[in-house]
Amino acid sequence: MKLRAKLAYTAAGMTVFAALLVPFLLMGLFTNGFAALGLHVDEMYSGGPKVRTVQTSAYSIDIHRPVFPHMLQSERPFVQLDWRPVSALPSHVSDLVDVDGNGQPDIRVSFDVPSDAKTPLRVNVEALNPRYEAMRNVGKEKFSRLIVRVDDVILVRVPLAHP
Amino acid sequence: MATEARILKPGGTAPRTIGRSLLLTLPIALWSLLMFANPQRHSNRSLQIASLITAVFMIALFFMMMRTTSTYRWRRWFFVALGILFPVGFIHTVIMMRGTMGIPIEEMIAGRTPFCYLPIPLLILPAAFTKTLVFPGSILPGGGMSGAGMAAMAGLWLAITLVIGKGWCSYACFFGGIEEGMASVPARAKLRKIDPRWRYGPWAVLLAMVLLSLALFEPAYCLWLCPFKAVSEYVAARSTVGMVQNGIFAVLFAGLVIALPLLTKKRTQCAFFCPFGAFQSIFNKTSVFDVKIDRARCSPCVLCKTACPTFSLTDESIARGETLMSCMKCGACVDACVKNAIVWHIKGTEVACKPERARLMFLYAAWGMAVMFGGSIIAEGLATILHVFV
Repeated sequence: MKLRAKLAYTAAGMTVFAALLVPFLLMGLFTNGFAALGLHVDEMYSGGPKVRTVQTSAYSIDIHRPVFPHMLQSERPFVQLDWRPVSALPSHVSDLVDVDGNGQPDIRVSFDVPSDAKTPLRVNVEALNPRYEAMRNVGKEKFSRLIVRVDDVILVRVPLAHP
Repeated sequence: MATEARILKPGGTAPRTIGRSLLLTLPIALWSLLMFANPQRHSNRSLQIASLITAVFMIALFFMMMRTTSTYRWRRWFFVALGILFPVGFIHTVIMMRGTMGIPIEEMIAGRTPFCYLPIPLLILPAAFTKTLVFPGSILPGGGMSGAGMAAMAGLWLAITLVIGKGWCSYACFFGGIEEGMASVPARAKLRKIDPRWRYGPWAVLLAMVLLSLALFEPAYCLWLCPFKAVSEYVAARSTVGMVQNGIFAVLFAGLVIALPLLTKKRTQCAFFCPFGAFQSIFNKTSVFDVKIDRARCSPCVLCKTACPTFSLTDESIARGETLMSCMKCGACVDACVKNAIVWHIKGTEVACKPERARLMFLYAAWGMAVMFGGSIIAEGLATILHVFV
């Protein structure tokens, strides 16, 4: 048998051996390798990293870093605010929020908190700072303009009028 | 004699003895037991029974492959079962978890969008340029609807691709079985004259979707063109755009996965449209296994070309003694050849040299992956049926 053919059969044998290793070694190795690449999910979906938390007596408001769309992405820049836990929220929330942390309130966010988690939410946002866009009776129109309940958190995304 | 004739492939290779076939099946039987003897399954009786049935099914099919030396028709049973049972298990899971097949925006924000392998090629450029995955899922194990996360699917895909290359499309893809099942329904193709330039369709779709995904920063194929959204989960129709998207999914599914396979007896979605299939073709170049034509034996009668479900054989490629890079190693051409001229092959060896050895080595690798990945999906689907109806 020629050397080339011997190498070919060796490679084929190693492939069969690799098949044996897939569930016990290779799959985990590649999964961990992928996870270690330092990739992150697009902030248009994840909402960006949390930068500050405002604590009230019963609940807290997490303020995220503003998210800006890439290239031709069909969304507006926005900032995400999380009210948590939903169980501690009153039946109607109306909060003045200092989004940029300069000590002055930037927006007033108002929404009802229905007891049934499946009831659609609507939010009103009054812009006290022209950087933020007002919203009236908004549900979940776009990733950059919505109010939704995710598990025990109510998320509000407010578009930026002047990024 | 009549029974023997029925189990022979057209080329007339004599069947193996039952004892030798059993011996060759033994490694796969042990592998199947290893894969399905998962202690976690023991808590769920439906899954336990389904796993047992699946293991017997996979072992029996491999035995028949060994006994008859025919590959395609036995593999097809597995593949069609996978294509039918994946949506059964998947739809049941999403309905149980969120009450609808439509994925709401809050599930996307929560990173609970199930991630299949089809968008993998679309994520590469945005990830390379910005380290961002343009998919509303979770990266790490523990995330995603199944708890697996994108990293787990990427790891599984990479590992299986390393072993069987484009063979993924015949032994691991949980969508292709639907159209393969449809293609096997009619006795003859009603639509035979198909412009060969349609073969470039998947490459065109791949290029367009990769560029669109980079420009729009969204998984464009999943949002606009995936026919299998019709049998997995669709965009929750919150607006006119959502309804248009769902209309496109339904039309593509009805056309490419149901109607055209019935008319052409081909896997038309895979052959003309699937961008993942085109991407996976690249890995045919890295795989050690391929399918070759022994030109000394070939007439050429082009039975292989007619049998190929993805138009991966042309008159020119037959003259060159090889398949096109879109060949997914399903074995249809090898089974169809009456002269045993088209054979399984290990790159670097002589074409006519021990093709059955090459077939065996490929099948051990490919069927091992089929049992591990496809088998577990079949078992989940069967368990759903057992759980719901029995």
